Amino acid sequence: MLSIVCLLAMALSLFIGPSNLNAGEVISALYGGAAPSVNSIIQDIRLPRAALAAVVGAGLGASGAALQGFTRNPLAAPGLLGFSACAALGAVVALYFNADAWISPAAIGFAVIGALAITLFSRRKPGAAGLVLAGIGIGALATAITGLIMNLAPNPWALSELVYWLMGSLKNADGSDLLIAGPLTGIGCLLLCLSGSSLRVLGLGEDTAQSLGVSVGRTQILIVIGCALCIGSGVAVAGAIGFVGLFIPHILRFLTGADEAWLIPLSALGGASFLVMIDTLIRATSGPGTPLYLGIVTSLIGVPFFLWLAWRQT
Amino acid sequence: MISIENISARYAGTLVVKDVSAQARPGELIALVGPNGSGKSTLLKAIAGLIKHDGRSSLPESSSVRAKNISYLAQNSTAPNLRKVKDIVALGRSPFLGPFSKLSPRDKDAIERAATLCQTSQLFDREYGALSGGEKMRVHLSRALATEAPILLADEPITALDPYYQISVMNILRETANDGKIIITALHDLGFANRFADRIWVMQDGHLVKDEAASTALSSEILKTVFRITPNGQAIA
Repeated sequence: MLSIVCLLAMALSLFIGPSNLNAGEVISALYGGAAPSVNSIIQDIRLPRAALAAVVGAGLGASGAALQGFTRNPLAAPGLLGFSACAALGAVVALYFNADAWISPAAIGFAVIGALAITLFSRRKPGAAGLVLAGIGIGALATAITGLIMNLAPNPWALSELVYWLMGSLKNADGSDLLIAGPLTGIGCLLLCLSGSSLRVLGLGEDTAQSLGVSVGRTQILIVIGCALCIGSGVAVAGAIGFVGLFIPHILRFLTGADEAWLIPLSALGGASFLVMIDTLIRATSGPGTPLYLGIVTSLIGVPFFLWLAWRQT
Repeated sequence: MISIENISARYAGTLVVKDVSAQARPGELIALVGPNGSGKSTLLKAIAGLIKHDGRSSLPESSSVRAKNISYLAQNSTAPNLRKVKDIVALGRSPFLGPFSKLSPRDKDAIERAATLCQTSQLFDREYGALSGGEKMRVHLSRALATEAPILLADEPITALDPYYQISVMNILRETANDGKIIITALHDLGFANRFADRIWVMQDGHLVKDEAASTALSSEILKTVFRITPNGQAIA
């Protein structure tokens, strides 16, 4: 069902954009049978952008579901546990030094370094509590350094570039981004799915799970590496996009009653569908001037949900 | 038979279990008693292989083999509130399953036997969060018994239960021991220890100070020196 929703959202997104194209033109352009300009719009702009939105959303959704399952905390999400902040720091460092070609490697590299640091600092206390404490700490440090870099921006234009980038967008997405983010997110999601059966048992508490043969340390490593790949590659191509990893697993848990293991692939599909729809909405409503940024819209939708959740928890 | 020799274990950096040696035979229900902080839970965790310890034990080293041979029922066991009871009980079979494998007929039979013994079959379609404390404990016990491991370690399974569920849980443990399993359970209620157990291990300050038949283990001297109470149930100032 969610797969169909995701495919429909992607298909719909091909029909929406500044150029008014009819259904025949869009379908012809998919196999290169339309006018060259139309082929280019569909194959080089709309299709990669829709596919990238799906890839980034899938990584965010799967990461959120895995982190919530591991920490047994419904408030856990990649943005709150430092993964997004570390990846964003990498990209900001590359932007600061005008090394645009290094944005992707830097974001992924910093996400991996952040993940290693989180693992290192939580080694003394493997498990949910250690991961949460280390993640929040490392994330706060990465956010502070990102702020420092912005503080040291040489001119207002450089600063505005950093600020706009941090808002998150797919407006510059192309096929080469897909080649980076697609495989890395795919591997990340696979690692997260492999941790699913352990997460199901971890719902009974760490001692009980360990007594049933689950290695808490191994599960933590799978999740940390999986999240680093998903979030690092996502941030590399789309900037910082918040709250998708928080509320998509929640909604799906509520709607489907799925356990921790099933929630990971379901949240990947849900996150993909949601981000494709939001990106399509942004393109449909964009007019002259500064377009809406993806990270802003997802947060505008996500923050009220987060507050409602926090209110319910208390 | 299982044996542990000179087991010492730490909890949060403090030496809590000191040089404990003991044996347990199939069919025995052993009550592990002692004051708060005497090391009961840490000893059970050490036997279960959940924490590192010094000393020797006849129990398997490998965590996957251990999971099939030792069931552990944690103190204050928990589960996600929205999870169905049948899914929680089925987790007892997880040591026998791969990441993506389904329950075999043998797994289903083991789950049914455990659920029948603990009378949890009728709760199978209910959510965990909607159960009473006593029902939750029986669900956790079903999960532990569904593994069909030859050894069950239960950490204070009847604390916080009303008398009906206390007796019900102790009866299940007794029946499981009668089937040839080794049951070691930490208890605070000395009356239940005396009534249901075959043997009693008494812990004091990390040491196993008494290992005797239930009928004789709780002597006046042990009650006085370990528990600071008189045989009449009066606290010693």
